[in-house]
Formats: sequence, structure tokens, C-alpha cells
Amino acid sequence: MQPLQVPTFEPRLKVVNREQALAIHTAALEILEKVGVKMEHAGALEMLADAGGHVFDGNWVRLPANLAEEALRTAPRQIILYDHNGQKAVPLEDHKVFYGTGSDTTFTLDLETGQRRSCVLNDVGRFARLVDGLENISFAMSMGNPQDIPNVNYIYVYSFAEMIKNTNKPIVFIADRREDIEKIHDVACLVAGGEETLRQKPFLLNYSEAISPLRFPENVVDKLIFCAQKGIPICLPSGSNAGGGAPVTLAGAMAMGIAENLVGLIVHQLAAEGAPFLFGPNVSTLDMKSAVVSYGCPEWSLTQAALADMRDEIYGLPIWAFAGASDSKVVDAQAGAEAMFSIITAMLSRCNLVHDVGYLEYGSTSSLEMVTMANEMVAMARHFTAGIPVNKQTLAVEALERVKNAGPGGMFLTDDHTFDHFKEALFLPNLLDRSRYDSWEAAGSQDLYKRSNQEARRILSEHQVTPKNSNVLRDLDTLLESL
Amino acid sequence: MSYETLSDAVVKGDINTAKEETQKAVEAGDNVQDILDSGLIAAMDIVGDQFSQGLMFLPQMLHSAKTMQECVELLKPHFQEGGVTTKGKVVLGTVKGDLHDIGKNLVGMMLEGAGFSVIDLQVDVAPEAFVAKVKEEKAEIVGMSALLSTTMPAMSQTIKALVDSGIRDQVKVMIGGAPVTAKYAEEVGADAYAPDAGSAVIEAKKLLGID
Repeated sequence: MQPLQVPTFEPRLKVVNREQALAIHTAALEILEKVGVKMEHAGALEMLADAGGHVFDGNWVRLPANLAEEALRTAPRQIILYDHNGQKAVPLEDHKVFYGTGSDTTFTLDLETGQRRSCVLNDVGRFARLVDGLENISFAMSMGNPQDIPNVNYIYVYSFAEMIKNTNKPIVFIADRREDIEKIHDVACLVAGGEETLRQKPFLLNYSEAISPLRFPENVVDKLIFCAQKGIPICLPSGSNAGGGAPVTLAGAMAMGIAENLVGLIVHQLAAEGAPFLFGPNVSTLDMKSAVVSYGCPEWSLTQAALADMRDEIYGLPIWAFAGASDSKVVDAQAGAEAMFSIITAMLSRCNLVHDVGYLEYGSTSSLEMVTMANEMVAMARHFTAGIPVNKQTLAVEALERVKNAGPGGMFLTDDHTFDHFKEALFLPNLLDRSRYDSWEAAGSQDLYKRSNQEARRILSEHQVTPKNSNVLRDLDTLLESL
Repeated sequence: MSYETLSDAVVKGDINTAKEETQKAVEAGDNVQDILDSGLIAAMDIVGDQFSQGLMFLPQMLHSAKTMQECVELLKPHFQEGGVTTKGKVVLGTVKGDLHDIGKNLVGMMLEGAGFSVIDLQVDVAPEAFVAKVKEEKAEIVGMSALLSTTMPAMSQTIKALVDSGIRDQVKVMIGGAPVTAKYAEEVGADAYAPDAGSAVIEAKKLLGID
């Protein structure tokens, strides 16, 4: 008899069908052709005009659909991010999903006091070190917007250098303009051992934003062109949140956000054909009471799931997404519910690079505990998404027979099949508590926030980050001193 | 005078009824200031209260503000020179280097709804432009917004420009925006910090000693 071989179905969420995907895409192209965008970068405007764009009202430009189709054709289908030692770390291909932190929070929850306070540079380092020590968090962003920087004009260079010192995982970084992104590129070249090595094995990706609706500021496009020329992968979402930067209806907000993304992609590919571009707008919602952009709403999860469907139907480029964040001010039930909702849906819909893990307060506060807690939620989601392998071993009829034949004392717990398979068959939680009441009470009756706090402290005190070469660190400090 | 129907219409955002009622009051020879204060601004006070209690959503509140503005347009031809007083003049803008305007626009609409006169300099406003407008308009308040932490220093530069031009003590400075905090406002020597559009109105009133 042949051994039973059944392919495993890995659960996948689909939220729009092909007709919906094409209709949104068509609307995005219509926006480019009929409405146009405001391109405030003279060089980019000229490139667009030369390529067939129609310039009007100063620096507004309308773009024929074939420019978008051509850019989609030339951009690479996969982007591979490496660690700082040149090892493949985050291959954005084949429906793979990777989670990482976010950037630029004004406040952080202090690990010792639990109080919300302003971020300092040391926090950027601590988040990076925590990411380095967490199995399911695959890339680092600054998380904090440090208040104790000697020269605020180079805030992102200091943050980048601090991450370099505290992790070897890929870094998604922010920059403000040409001058600071050049410095960051210099730092990255130091770490990689030269510009060509960095281009071959990039360990960094830039996150920049256009301004919705339809506005492309000069400094942003400058960064976009720089990244294209240097082969630094980049994503360029805009704040196309429903009701704020974009129409309140999700289809319209997506169409506009995608149109803006396509403009970024067109400029990017005109600047350097074949350069790596991560696709995807941020389509969240503007809260209709507080006017904050929500990081816990179901709509953002829905629109990025739809984008994943559109990737499969139309775009073919890896996509940018968010998860593991909350609008709650503290690490509470709301934070857990919202974080888990976005984590599981991002994975089920196969979003690729998923950031903002560990945000509280709609992205204004960061929490080491949230990141630690989310690490376990990602593990849960991965277990679920792996599906149910069906084969002779997992059907385990023989184990059942053995237990039956063993008589009254027979049980699965003592059978070799259990011993051999329990680790991959079951999800074994670390932070999520399943202990019996008495032992939970004896351990101090701690809730998940408290346990995550202790785990974050443990990792920060015990985890060893492989240090960078001392020459690299020396050159890095020299560069920082020159700012 | 009581303007219950007018006020109700503004609260509901019923533009047609509100304009009809305003027109009726004007034709009846009512005092324009009275229509503005007891009809329109009174309604917006109710709107503000309901919004802050969570009984109203932003688009509804902004629709009321739009209703009020359309009514004010009807009143304008009847304003005597210097005959209508506003709660105060506010020069508003997003600071130099920053192009984000949604938050700043909300603040502007709320301030107008509350009876302030707002001069909106839009986005990417240089310190000198704030100073010039404050001088020209003899504004009582200057409001600055920033979304980016890298543009926040422009707030302190603008305050310095107000000091250097010798008008700092003639104008109150209010700041806000996502990365801005009360502590930062204090550090750069602003007079008030407003975390959102609703509090901008409250702070503006406090700054000028109203209510």
C-alpha cells in the first residue's frame, strides 16, 4: 500500500474577488489619468513629463495607465532582506509573512515604572535588542522618536546607528530628506563592508510617506529617487486613511492609496529600472470622534487583506502591512484583542512585511511588553495558519491500536508517538497562562501584562546581541560625532 | 431674541432651514450681532458640547460648522464697519517644512464655529510669515501645528521670531499636533498646548479670558 500523501491546505483568507480587485485597480488608474497628482519634485516632474505624463497647473501631472503597467512590469517580484552579516533573513516572496516593530512614537511605557514617558535614544536601543531576542519578530524599526538627540536634524541617523548597535536583524528605517538618508546609507555601507555588498545583500528598507490626498513633497521624492539609485528597498505608502486623507468608503480610499503608490513606483522605476519597491498604501480609518488614525480598527486589516488579494490577482509585488498594534492607552484586554485581530488576519491574508507591532495609543506610545506579547501571538497565528498535516503519522491509527492493546494501563501520554510528535503537533505557549489556579496564585496571580514585562526584562538582561566589528563601531561613532 | 429654530437647524446641519431662518431674521431687521451670538454661535456651543460628550461624530459637527458659515455669509453684507465683534483673531498655520493640514483645518473650523475670526496661512509657513500676519492683522493668538518631529523646532523658531520682532507680548501662542506635548509647549515658551481641535477652542478662550 502506498503511504498516504495529502498536501496540507494552509488556511488563507480572501476578502475580495477578481472583479472587485480589477474595479479598484481601474479606479486607481482613472485617478492617475483624470485627476492627477501634485509632484513637488522638479526632477521627478520632468521625468514623468518625458515619459508621457501631462503636466498642468504648475506641478500637477496626469499619468497614462501604461506608465503604471510598465513600472509594475519592471519592479522585482521578490525582495530579500539580509541580516547584518549577509545571511538571508527576510525573503519577501511566496506569500511569506514577517512581523516587526514600528517607528516614531512620542512616548513609551517605562519598563520599570509602567509610566508613559517621552522616548529617549536608549529606548530605540532597547527595542532593537528585544527584537533581536524574539523569535517571531523579524525586523526592527526605531519605535521611539528620541527626545535626547544632540542635533534633531539628524534624529534618524542617531536612531539608525542605535539600532545597528543593538540588533543584527533587518532594519526598516525612517529618514527626513536627502542629507540624512545619505548619512544612513554611509552607516549601512560601513556595516555591510561597502556599497556594492550592501546593494547585493541589503539589510535595510526605507519607509517614506507621500501626503494624501495626491501630494508628493520634494524631500520625500528625493529619498525615493536616492533609494532607487542605491538599490535600497523602499516602500512609499501615504496616509490614505478612510475619512481623513481619503474618501470614507474603503474602496475609494484603497483606489486613491493605490494610485499614490503607483505614482511612487513609476518615479522609482524611471529613476532606476528594476530597483526593489515594496507595494502598499496604509488604508486605516480616521476615527469619527477623536480624529486619530486608528491602529486597532478592523478596516485596516480588511483593506490590507484586500491588497494581498490584489497582489495575487494583479500586482505581483510583495506588500507592506501593519499588525500587533492598538488604540488602547495601556496593555489591557483591548490591546490584546486588537493586536491579535490584526496579527491573525495579516497572516491569513499573507501580507508580507508587517510593521507596527507593539504600538499603543494609535501609534503615539510604544511598549516593550506589547512587542513581547505579540511575539507569542504571531506564534499562535503561525500554528493556526500551518493547517493540519494529514498523513499516516498524523492520522496515528497505529498509536491508537497500541494504546488499545496495552490494556487498562495504556494511554497516549506514555506512547512513543506522543513523545515523538507533541512538539510540532501542539502549540506550546510560553506567556499565555494555562496553569492551574493554585499554581497561578502561588506565582503571584500575574496577568499577561505583568508576565510580558518580566519576559521583556529577562530578554533585555540575558540576550546577547552579536557585537559589530570594533572598526565598524569606531567609524560609526566618528560619523555620529561629525553630525 | 430667541433663535430656537435657527439654532436647531445649525445643530442638525440643516443648511436650507438655517439659511431661511437667518434671512428671515435679517429681513425682520434684527441686530446682526444678535443673530450671530444668540443664533449661530449659541448653536455651535451646543454642537461642541454634544461632540465632546461623544453624542455627535466629526462629520456631523463639521456639517454644523459649514451650516453656520453659510449663514454668516448671509449676515456679512449687513455687518457695519467694526459693528460685529468676534471672540478674537487667530492666525493659524502648519509650521515651516511641514505639509500636513488635516488637524490644522479642524482647529480652524472649530475656532470659527466658536466665534473666533481665523486667518489660515495654510502649510509650510515660515516664522517670518507668521510674524508679518500677526502684525498686519493685530491677531490675539497665533496657532501652530506640526505632524513631524523634525519640523517641531520650527515652532520654537517662530516663537523666537515673534520675540525678535518685539511682538511676543502682544500675542498668545498655542501649539498642537501629533508629536507635540504639554511639556514641549512649556519648553519652547508657548502659552498653550491643545491636543485636539476641541481643546484648541477651550484653550483659545482661556488665553483671552473668555467664559
